[in-house]
Amino acid sequence: MDFDIRPYDLSSAATSWMVLVGILTLISVGLSFVLSLARNGVSGVAIFTTGLGSYLGDLFSLSPKRIYALTKLTLLEAIRRKALLVFVVFAVLLMFAGWFLTDTNSRPELQVSIHVTFLLTAIAWLILPAVIFLSCWALPEDIRIRSLHTVVTKPARRLEIVIGRMAGMGIVSCLVLVVMGVIGAVWIYRKLPENSRSQLTCRVPVFGQLYFFDADGQPAATGINVGDTWMYRSHIAGNSRARAVWMFRDVNESSIVTDTIGTGDEAKTVEGLKLECRFEAFRTVKGSEKSVLQGVQAQYTLSSNPREEAFGMLSQGEALRPVADALRDGQFRNGSDRLKELATRVRTTPDELRPADYLGLQNGLAVAGVILKEMKLPALLPVQEKFDAASSRGIALLRVLQTNNATGATDKPPYAEFAESLETLAGGILENADLLHESLPKLEVPLPAFHISEYHEGAAENITVIPRKLRFAADYETLARFLSGIFEKWSEEGKLVEGNAISSGLVDSLQKDASVSPLNAELLATVLNEQLTAGTLKISDGKLAVADGRRWFAFFDDLIRKELLISQDTEGWLIEKDLLTDLVSNGFLRVEVACLNDQMYLGMARPDLFIRKPDRSFLVGYTKALVSIALMLMLIIVLGVTVSCTVKGPVALFFTLTFFLVGQFFHEFMMKMLSGQEQGMGTLESAVLIAQHRNPQVGMDVSSTTSAVLKGADKGLEGVLRVFSNIVPDFSVFNRGSSFVENGFDVPFNDCVVPAVAIFAGFLIPCVLMAGAMLKFRELEAK
Amino acid sequence: MSNAVIEIRNLSKIYRDFWGRKKVQAVKSLSMDVQKGEVFGLLGPNGSGKTTTMKMLLGLLFPTSGEMTILGKSASDVSKNEKIGYLPEESYLYRFLNADETLDFYGRLFNMSAADRIRRSDELIEMVGLGKARRRQLKEYSKGMTRRIGLAQALINDPELVLLDEPTSGLDPLGTREMKDLILRLKAQGKTVVMCSHQLADVQDVCDRIAVLFQGELKVLGRVDELLEMRNETQMRTSSLSMEAQEDIRKVLEKHNIKNAQFTSPRADLEELFLRTVRESGERPGRRFSAEEIAASGKGGNA
Ligand SMILES: Nc1ncnc2c1ncn2[C@@H]1O[C@H](COP(=O)(O)OP(=O)(O)O)[C@@H](O)[C@H]1O
Ligand SMILES: [Mg+2]
Repeated sequence: MDFDIRPYDLSSAATSWMVLVGILTLISVGLSFVLSLARNGVSGVAIFTTGLGSYLGDLFSLSPKRIYALTKLTLLEAIRRKALLVFVVFAVLLMFAGWFLTDTNSRPELQVSIHVTFLLTAIAWLILPAVIFLSCWALPEDIRIRSLHTVVTKPARRLEIVIGRMAGMGIVSCLVLVVMGVIGAVWIYRKLPENSRSQLTCRVPVFGQLYFFDADGQPAATGINVGDTWMYRSHIAGNSRARAVWMFRDVNESSIVTDTIGTGDEAKTVEGLKLECRFEAFRTVKGSEKSVLQGVQAQYTLSSNPREEAFGMLSQGEALRPVADALRDGQFRNGSDRLKELATRVRTTPDELRPADYLGLQNGLAVAGVILKEMKLPALLPVQEKFDAASSRGIALLRVLQTNNATGATDKPPYAEFAESLETLAGGILENADLLHESLPKLEVPLPAFHISEYHEGAAENITVIPRKLRFAADYETLARFLSGIFEKWSEEGKLVEGNAISSGLVDSLQKDASVSPLNAELLATVLNEQLTAGTLKISDGKLAVADGRRWFAFFDDLIRKELLISQDTEGWLIEKDLLTDLVSNGFLRVEVACLNDQMYLGMARPDLFIRKPDRSFLVGYTKALVSIALMLMLIIVLGVTVSCTVKGPVALFFTLTFFLVGQFFHEFMMKMLSGQEQGMGTLESAVLIAQHRNPQVGMDVSSTTSAVLKGADKGLEGVLRVFSNIVPDFSVFNRGSSFVENGFDVPFNDCVVPAVAIFAGFLIPCVLMAGAMLKFRELEAK
Repeated sequence: MSNAVIEIRNLSKIYRDFWGRKKVQAVKSLSMDVQKGEVFGLLGPNGSGKTTTMKMLLGLLFPTSGEMTILGKSASDVSKNEKIGYLPEESYLYRFLNADETLDFYGRLFNMSAADRIRRSDELIEMVGLGKARRRQLKEYSKGMTRRIGLAQALINDPELVLLDEPTSGLDPLGTREMKDLILRLKAQGKTVVMCSHQLADVQDVCDRIAVLFQGELKVLGRVDELLEMRNETQMRTSSLSMEAQEDIRKVLEKHNIKNAQFTSPRADLEELFLRTVRESGERPGRRFSAEEIAASGKGGNA
């Protein structure tokens, strides 16, 4: 089980539910009509319509009072029949469990996990048999001893009996669950060893999207496969340009935690973003003492890089890489030149490029257009339009290529038009190079390297708290942006000028308001004064401005290029940025992971790195897990009562158990089979192959007639499976909550509790209706 | 407009097994009416189809063919149950409830208000004489007590039509007598009662009209007094006659050409004897009675 959240789409689930229920209703109504005709001949029509009418009448005249009476009856029955004895078993179990579970030697979070797992499993599996039995047995027993006869000869509708029964049993099982839950919570707090008690929390993870950069720094869908059996984790090579990149969305104030770092006197509270990871290390050099002792080091780099997002996709295909690299680097003039070269190639020797290159190029252009549009910067609009235009030309070109390829035609692809659009685009980029450079800033904040604690070492998780106020050595691009930001503001405020000179308070302000180090502040003041003297800066209207009317960014960029701002500190230009305002854009945060050790690989999968929001109390997740269990119990009750409306106790028991077991253990498998994810072939066919000791992954000879027959049979089986998978509820959903809590996670409400509620409700309504009808239109005879 | 509370036309019921094969034809083409305000008896030996008929009337079983209305409604219409009271063959009640809870539960099924339920339970428990046992769970009840609480639940809604399936089965003669009194009382209140029984004595005492079923077929239908009257015999009862008086009377009878006159002491039937014993025991506890004493007190009692 991984803790990656499977998104649950309630509205689409609801739609398919309605379709399914609609079809089932039609089928069952139609079937009963046919049955009625078959039994009663022509008068069957009348019998059917009166029956249907009277059932609909029952539906709309349900009496809460009668339902309540029946509910109360069920409650009383459970209590008087000593169903609550299950508590005694539970108490005894908990009393003795302590002997086996407590092991102070193992890791604290493992201790917690063992205890919580035991508790939740005990609760669920103690109530479960009782509930299955109760729900399947109660109604048939009621019929057998004929106590139901007395009830139905009162004005109680049979639908009300069904509802009352279900409600009563539901309440009983919930009551039992609540009491057990409370006892269990007390038990776990008291029983847990001292050292693990602090681990009893619910982590709230925020998972991101994962993608990779290969050792050459090029985007890749997956990392390296080091021959892992599961192919679950992809690996990045150490000491290379390979990176794993997570994009987290919805990062905001609520993601920030307040944490205490350090112990004893050195302890201090930090506000920041908590990252937790569990990577897997893979060594190519075994047995080297040093490297084993050293462990594996990883490094996070936070970055906000709109250029990468916009132009990264252009780099698919060798031919386009120079363009992409230049644009990604922010060298827009260079990029424009490279694009022009490419356009020339397209115009003159178009066949040098493979169709795949054109596809990649078109794709990259389209993505760039979309991303630039999303940034919503009006200044970028003209460039974005040129990207779109080039992309649609690309599509036209691809279309011709494709038709040629498919039909063998030899239409001339519109290379010239495409090349022209590329040239226009190159022109646009050149024209707006400065603007693009300023509007698509790259900000990179490398964090200190850290040791990966590996699973087998038995260490705790790797937790990093990234302080909200980040102080780091800026690269030149960041520095230019930082300084221009300050000076634009101060210049506007008229803060920079004193008479005809640059304000003498500048050094002070730089240190106090912008946290620039004293040495660097002095340097900056000196350089600015020189520039004023040299005439690149001017003072007009009491404001300091760049003489040729350029923007501050271009001015500082220039100074940096001329190497006039080389830091006087050994640490470089330390500047401060706010994690949320400067690194998070539109709620997105980008975290790069690098492996620092040579000849090592770090394996990672999407859920291996997550933002840990402020922890919730253990009780929160525990309660949600119990709610999931409660929903499961109630669903079983609903199914059991429904089935037991037509058949006797043992048969009902058999059906309900089958439903439960299949839904619990095979539902996912069925779904996979249906959606074709499971490799191989149809059930029957592969069964035959396995029997013949052949590899089922290969498939049979198409010519063989047996195969054709088997394939037909498999289609039929698939139909049965499809119907079955829609009728059998996915019971594993209800356990998901428990697994989260057992592993110290909070239970995600939308993706765990909501589906559980939805599945329950989805079955509740049709089941109640069906049960009511089945009970109404059957004879109550015990024999 | 007829006064019929129940109308049955050509009703048949065939019990089938799981595979739809015919097992038994329990009711064969039965037609009859029950009039408002009468006590109607369904008579017949065990297995003659009485219970089956009653269950069809109540909608517990579906007829194989034929029509019926009950209180003017179809048998499958639940709303008819508002005005019906039904005492099953055995009292099929929830044994984990006590008498109060039982009546409260069934009262709720009629949507009765809390005050009504309490008032009605008190009345009924008083009436069936379960005052002392009302807080005990039904599983501790004897058969007679179960029967009584069963009767009470059947009357919880003050029904217009009461269906009693073997109302006296399992009751001691005292209980039987009380049951019969009750049926007559219901009749006096203007209610219609349908009961089935295989005990002629029960039916004879209370029923206005009876139908005799045998193997699912209606054999006899009519008023009890008419059916039981033996027109070719006359019965006479006096205090003991001496031999001379008997001879005199015989002569008088011979003058009227009647030859086969018999003279015997009448015997009380067992039911009467039992009833009398119980009554005597109540008056003089701790004594054993000789046959003569009982016979003597019987005469006094009957005088
Ligand atoms: N559920 C049943 N299945 C099959 N046969 C039944 C069933 N109930 C009753 N019978 C049969 O129908 C006939 C009539 O039964 P019933 O109506 O109970 O008779 P009564 O009440 O007059 O004693 C009997 O032969 C009985 O065996
Ligand atoms: Mg019977």
